[in-house]
Amino acid sequence: MSAPFLSIARIAKSYAGTKAVDEVSLDIAEGEFVTFLGPSGSGKSTTLYIIAGFVEPSAGEVLLGGRSLLAVPPHQRGIGMVFQRYTLFPHLSVAENIAFPLRVRRRPRAEIADKVDEMLRLVRLEGMRGRRPGQLSGGQQQRVALARALAYDPRILLMDEPLSALDKKLREEIQGEIRRVHVETGVTVLYVTHDQEEALRLSDRIALFNHGRIEQVGDGRDLYERPASAFVAGFIGNSNFLPVRVVAAAGRHAVVSCPDGFELRGVRVAARPAGAEPTLMLRPERLWLAPGGAGEGIAGTVVDAAFLGDCIAYRVRTGWAQDLAVRTPLAALGGAPAGVGQEVRVCCEGRHAFLFAAL
Amino acid sequence: MPAPGAIAVREAQGTGLAGARPARGARGRGEGFAPAVPALALLLCCFALPVLALLLRSLLDPRPGLENYAALLATGTYYRVLANTFLVAGTVTAVTVLLGLPLAWFLAVAPAFWARLVFGIVVLSMWTNLLARTYAWMVLLQSTGVINRALIALGLVSAPLPLIDNLTGVTIGMVYIMLPFMVLSLRMPLAALDRETFRAAALCGASRWQAFWRVFLPLLMPGLASGALMIFVMALGYYITPSLLGGTSNMMLAELIAQLVQSLLQWGVAGAAAFVLLAITLSLYAVQVRLFGVRGAAGG
Ligand SMILES: Nc1ncnc2c1ncn2[C@@H]1O[C@H](COP(=O)(O)OP(=O)(O)OP(=O)(O)O)[C@@H](O)[C@H]1O
Ligand SMILES: [Mg+2]
Repeated sequence: MSAPFLSIARIAKSYAGTKAVDEVSLDIAEGEFVTFLGPSGSGKSTTLYIIAGFVEPSAGEVLLGGRSLLAVPPHQRGIGMVFQRYTLFPHLSVAENIAFPLRVRRRPRAEIADKVDEMLRLVRLEGMRGRRPGQLSGGQQQRVALARALAYDPRILLMDEPLSALDKKLREEIQGEIRRVHVETGVTVLYVTHDQEEALRLSDRIALFNHGRIEQVGDGRDLYERPASAFVAGFIGNSNFLPVRVVAAAGRHAVVSCPDGFELRGVRVAARPAGAEPTLMLRPERLWLAPGGAGEGIAGTVVDAAFLGDCIAYRVRTGWAQDLAVRTPLAALGGAPAGVGQEVRVCCEGRHAFLFAAL
Repeated sequence: MPAPGAIAVREAQGTGLAGARPARGARGRGEGFAPAVPALALLLCCFALPVLALLLRSLLDPRPGLENYAALLATGTYYRVLANTFLVAGTVTAVTVLLGLPLAWFLAVAPAFWARLVFGIVVLSMWTNLLARTYAWMVLLQSTGVINRALIALGLVSAPLPLIDNLTGVTIGMVYIMLPFMVLSLRMPLAALDRETFRAAALCGASRWQAFWRVFLPLLMPGLASGALMIFVMALGYYITPSLLGGTSNMMLAELIAQLVQSLLQWGVAGAAAFVLLAITLSLYAVQVRLFGVRGAAGG
């Protein structure tokens, strides 16, 4: 394999003793859409700002096409960026904002005019070219910011929670725009968000950050179906975590015993242990309810059943007084849904359960 | 019942800030002005009435007519003084702008601690007595003063530089006094600047120099213009500094007025001179309102 397009190698940054970024390494291919996902304060923005050149790492290296970026000042890195806050130049019109990076590069007038037209078409704001940023909605401003960041054909586009100030509907609309722009331009994108749905919708790969480290890198399915740690499993999607006892383990599979004695076979063992206590992770949508009585499954009582349109969300109280979330799609519902107070068994296939344990 | 009072105050502030915002109703408008009445009354008594008296005097003393204005405009001295006044005010304004802009840039991009420290030092100098500061400059600028002696000791000059009793001395002294006003009038536009905007400019490929000219300066322009106008107008009427640091050969308008009143007892001519100065000032203000609107001209 040839050298990666962008290579982040063991970068670190400390602020007054706290490690904002702690030995983060990541290789990114040209044209890839990689999202940094993680809770607040996990070091996503700091990593992005190191790549942009606004934060100097205490250690590590950033290589673009095999050459170090760290000695290059921000304005010569050829990187585009869309910020969380609106950073359009308030004294310039939409068209002048988009033209700004080309003006400072002293490109010929005709080229600038063509590029501005092209960019306005790309973000679908042809009718707004003469407006000032103050006369645009938040979503429109971020689209102009996107156009401005792409106007000079940057090799990398950085986006730091560009949609966090927008409402859900507008966010989804602009997510669609960003996807389309990514496909049309083929630019390499590094995108920061703490919205998992946004990450899953947009990215080729997701790097999940926690405490300044990357917990796991992979596509959405990897993270969802093969979480490397309980943190990943807890962050992506909804999960039930059960305290269990490991009865037997062979290779990457194990047999576990739930607190009420029910034994689940063929459970997959996660790549990384979650600490001392063995924990079983069950996705609510991988569970189904069977009528109470003898048989497979964890016995329990329905304490809540909510109709959510496309599915029914149950809460089932187990014998050891833990509430398990169970989601049954309407299509999978044979007959009437279980009612509150009904005795049920919560069933699961071993291959859809995950064990986090130090084996 | 506190509610109506509170509303009235808010409306008064609203009209003050937004310039000509239409009042919602006659009742609201009447109440809205009430809090401003004491200040308006003070201005009326201490500014409008004396100005009116001065105008009348220039027109009526010693006889009704325009003879004071004729006398004023007939003398060569007056034109020389007027030219000198504009020269000094213009030079002081230009130098203040040239010093104030890099300072403002520093305040915008420096780490918060340093920005606050420097801002504090600049504004602190305003709290020292004006006369004391001017006398201090006299001591510093004399031919036997600290500056000249240091220059000679360093071998940079062989004879003392003429730093006092001329335009150089006046400019140095007045720029020093005016700089805090410039920094204060740049404070609001500086506070409105977003650091991320400069980061965006940098990533767009703008060098610091380009960011300064293409982003920083345009965004600061209204504050800069109102600051410059304020300083120019204040400099036009300055008295203490020019009379202490400037020589007798380059008199400014305020000095001339003082001379007319104190030595020559020509109140009418003095009134005419003062009134011409006021007319010039008002027309400059009008120009700025045309260019930047009421808010920009008022320093906001
Ligand atoms: N300039 C700074 N000075 C001191 N500490 C900082 C600075 N910038 C970031 N930090 C700290 O570094 C850690 C990581 O911050 P960072 O902004 O990278 O988080 P983030 O993942 O982007 O979070 P968010 O989702 O809230 O934006 C945080 O604990 C933060 O408090
Ligand atoms: Mg952040």
